Amino acid sequence: MTMQGLLYQPKIAEVLKNINKVMIGKEEAALLSVIALLAKGHVLLEDVPGVGKTMLVRTLAKSLDCDFKRIQFTPDLLPSDVTGVSIYNPKELQFEFRPGPILGNVVLADEINRTSPKTQSALLEGMEETSITVDGEAVPLNQPFFVMATQNPIEYEGTYPLPEAQLDRFLLKLKMGYPSAKQEVDMLTRTSGSHPIHTIEAVISRDELIDLQKQTEDVYVDQTVNRYIVELVTGTRAHKGVYLGVSPRGSIALMKAAKAYAFIQDRDYVIPDDIKYLAPYVLAHRMILTSESKFEGATAEDIVDELLTVTSIPVQRNVSE
Amino acid sequence: MDISLGKQSLIYQIVIYICGFLLFCEWLRPLEMISETQNVKVFFIYAGFCFFISFLQINWMISVPLKLLGLMFIIDGLYVAEQIFSGQWFAVVYNQVMYNIQVIQGQQWWEMTPLFRSLLFLILLWLMSYLLYYWFIIAKRMLFFVTLTFVYVTIVDTFTIYDGQWAIIRTFILGMISLGLSHFFKEMDREKVSLRGVKKAHLWVAPLIGVIIFSTLAGYAAPKLEPQWPDPVPYLTSGDRGAGSGPGGRIQKVGYGENDSRLGGSFVQDDTVVFQALAANKQYWRIESKDTYTGKGWEDTLDKPVKNVSPDNIEFQTYTDQVETEEQVALLNFTDDAEFNKLVYPYGIQELERFPDPFTIALHENTGEMDTLLEGNPDQVQRYITQYDAPSFEYNQLREADGEDPEEIKERYLQLPDSLPDRVRELASEIVSEEDNRYDRAKAVESYFSANGFKYSTTNVPVPKENQDYVDQFLFESKIGYCDNFSTSMVVLLRAEGIPARWVKGFTGGERQNETATIKGQTLNIYEVTSGNAHSWVEVYFPEIGWVPFEPTQGFTNNTDFHMDVEETDNEEVTPASADEPEQDETLGRPEQMREQQTEASAGQSDVNINQKSITLWISLAAALLLAAILYITRFRWMSAILIRRFKKMDREDTYDRAFHYLLRVLAHKKGIKRYPNQTLRDYARQVDAHFQSNDMRKLTNHYERALYRNENGIEHWRKVTELWENLIKRALS
Repeated sequence: MTMQGLLYQPKIAEVLKNINKVMIGKEEAALLSVIALLAKGHVLLEDVPGVGKTMLVRTLAKSLDCDFKRIQFTPDLLPSDVTGVSIYNPKELQFEFRPGPILGNVVLADEINRTSPKTQSALLEGMEETSITVDGEAVPLNQPFFVMATQNPIEYEGTYPLPEAQLDRFLLKLKMGYPSAKQEVDMLTRTSGSHPIHTIEAVISRDELIDLQKQTEDVYVDQTVNRYIVELVTGTRAHKGVYLGVSPRGSIALMKAAKAYAFIQDRDYVIPDDIKYLAPYVLAHRMILTSESKFEGATAEDIVDELLTVTSIPVQRNVSE
Repeated sequence: MDISLGKQSLIYQIVIYICGFLLFCEWLRPLEMISETQNVKVFFIYAGFCFFISFLQINWMISVPLKLLGLMFIIDGLYVAEQIFSGQWFAVVYNQVMYNIQVIQGQQWWEMTPLFRSLLFLILLWLMSYLLYYWFIIAKRMLFFVTLTFVYVTIVDTFTIYDGQWAIIRTFILGMISLGLSHFFKEMDREKVSLRGVKKAHLWVAPLIGVIIFSTLAGYAAPKLEPQWPDPVPYLTSGDRGAGSGPGGRIQKVGYGENDSRLGGSFVQDDTVVFQALAANKQYWRIESKDTYTGKGWEDTLDKPVKNVSPDNIEFQTYTDQVETEEQVALLNFTDDAEFNKLVYPYGIQELERFPDPFTIALHENTGEMDTLLEGNPDQVQRYITQYDAPSFEYNQLREADGEDPEEIKERYLQLPDSLPDRVRELASEIVSEEDNRYDRAKAVESYFSANGFKYSTTNVPVPKENQDYVDQFLFESKIGYCDNFSTSMVVLLRAEGIPARWVKGFTGGERQNETATIKGQTLNIYEVTSGNAHSWVEVYFPEIGWVPFEPTQGFTNNTDFHMDVEETDNEEVTPASADEPEQDETLGRPEQMREQQTEASAGQSDVNINQKSITLWISLAAALLLAAILYITRFRWMSAILIRRFKKMDREDTYDRAFHYLLRVLAHKKGIKRYPNQTLRDYARQVDAHFQSNDMRKLTNHYERALYRNENGIEHWRKVTELWENLIKRALS
């Protein structure tokens, strides 16, 4: 099947089709979410409430035949509310572990910047490692594990913005944005009866998903493309408007995401087009701008765009190598 | 496509092609006038022949030999006396070519022989026929050539005597027709209109013809601005001469050297200014003629009827009133270095003004020598203005002048010494044997030297031995010399053939200065005449016309005067340009020249007729530049042809890369679809495919991506897409 003129891997195409049944005009967000899912990464959504973040994640989870969990972050949320807690069971006369929402497969972490750093780190630890620590014991997380965190872009009082160092735990950061007027009308029409989310069914089993993730890892990335990635990433470090550039973790992230994107397009190698498409989503949230450039109104996305314009695409093979 | 339509499009092609040929003819037309090229007809015929063969598009195995054969016949007809295709014939041509290659290697361009120049020119015609076929028929791009033709015609019109008025109109009409038709075809092609549309071509052709007629008439009738700036030729010529790299510099190379030292310090320097001349044009400054050839040099042995003439009315004319003239005025101002007790005057002198009173003038009627006497003693006049009727000899008039020579003339100017060897006479009749009128005979003798490898030099010119004839030695032995050798030989050869001729001395026009001056309402150029401009030339007698100057000295051959038509009068005819030529009096041993020795004998006098020579040179240079430009402009076409052939056969790992990137270059240059460094191949391929409305580029790019980003075997992928690539290249070039 094709979408946006691209040829998709058949399984993934079905997932995207499912999502599009429910969501209107969110093809890109859906595609990027699937990329992050296949690359075993996580997504940070920066958007206002009510634009369909939850619905996107729920649809995704349902299509994948996965557990869906949601954590609404509030200032008084405790780490144990995320990870789960051991409760004394009087019958059994012992403590029993009650798993928290993080032990789902697809987790929506809503308004992550409204809770205290302590609670945030409970989630972030899970995202980075494949396990969490509860009462000194390591509890393995479920596989697949995919977090979609949202944060409110508007500066509220009493928020705890995620430190930049933490931000690069997310593979991609994206915005959903409001639908267009027409899309919104369509949406109203579609949701006036029974909600379409009830009509969709899982199209991929968990095992299949794990297999797809594995295949994604096998996608070939050539030296030439890697050099292009590195050139872009080092470009952020040298840019005069950037206070802190993208770390090597960012390079890896870009490569992983590109692999997933190539895989989705049913291609077993990465081309610079993949990198170009993903760079803004992968790199923008990993850099800190200087106050001057912020003051001048530049955004990280602008800088990535600029780097994409000045960096030459590798089109020559070095045969002697 | 049915046959009748194909035929129709063929007719259009023929029309376009003929326009191309006629445009090309506009390039050849001026040659006769602006250069020493003769037999231009031959070149026209050969060009037509080549164009015709190119149009037939026959296999090169046939067309190349055909064109070569044509070329050889022309060379044979023009230059080689031997039986064509005989061993000697080839030997002659081979020797000529080798000689010229040496000359080119020695950077002595001016010594290239006519045969070789013609050969190069014919090859150029050949190439042009191929190229124009490509431009006009295959690429259907003629704007460039039409524009070039315009530029060429205007430049030739501006800088030479060629009158481009009609040429411009012809070029305009031809250019419009071919551009219109080619545009029509391109439109048809682009819109994919079947040739059925051609049936209604009259709908399209009629307005075209209308537009052409209208704009031609409008252009012709419309008022035109006068030239906005003065004639640039004199300025450029002077600039050219001033520059060290110009002919002046060249002559220095020829004229200087041992010669200077041989002459010692007793003579004034080479470039000492003798006088300043204010005149409208560059022209000969005559001093006197000599009539008697002794076998060693010239003497004036006739009775000298000397008579005193009034400065107001100088009764001395070298030509009759049959010759068209233009009234002009010139001022001569001698420097202190000059010691002349004679008048230096232009052809057609009428009267002198502001001539200092105490001086009188004694005119030697035979020679035109005019002594300036102060109280009976020869003395110098520093400055005078002369009014003169500058003659302008009409080309046909000269050819048709077939009256009887007056007895008096025959008696004096057919003199030859008894000691003159017979072989000189034999040579003379051989040279002129094919000409039927006096002008062409004189012309034949004049150009004999340049066509037969005579060399201009001021060094190594031998002095004839005791019993040796000066002319004989030059013609048959040394074949090297300067103006005296050439002009004396020409006079002797002409006389041997019964054509009255005499030997003239004076100065060439000198070097133009940047300033101008106004005298009697005429704006005059200022020329600086140095002792280096001292010169000798030839006057030939024509019944009812009088004495006409000729210029045999190697380095200029034909003189512009004779190419001129009376209608286009312009005094340049008799004022062939500057010619700097060293003279060495002592080699001639002319005792009575002592008086002028300071001016004439000075060594290293430079004198080469630049106008003629340099025009040829410039034209060759322009042709070479044109050829280079054409090769550059069409580089993608011929390179593609080569590369397609090469890459198809090649199986190297990087062949695909090279072929692919070459395609990108062709697309960028030919279709303007440039890939920006930040543009991915896929993105670019989409852009290209959108242009061609196909999928080919995407397919080709996909394979290339696999080789590039998947590190797959380039050779295998290349084999799969070779044809695709070739098609794309061809489409990019179309």
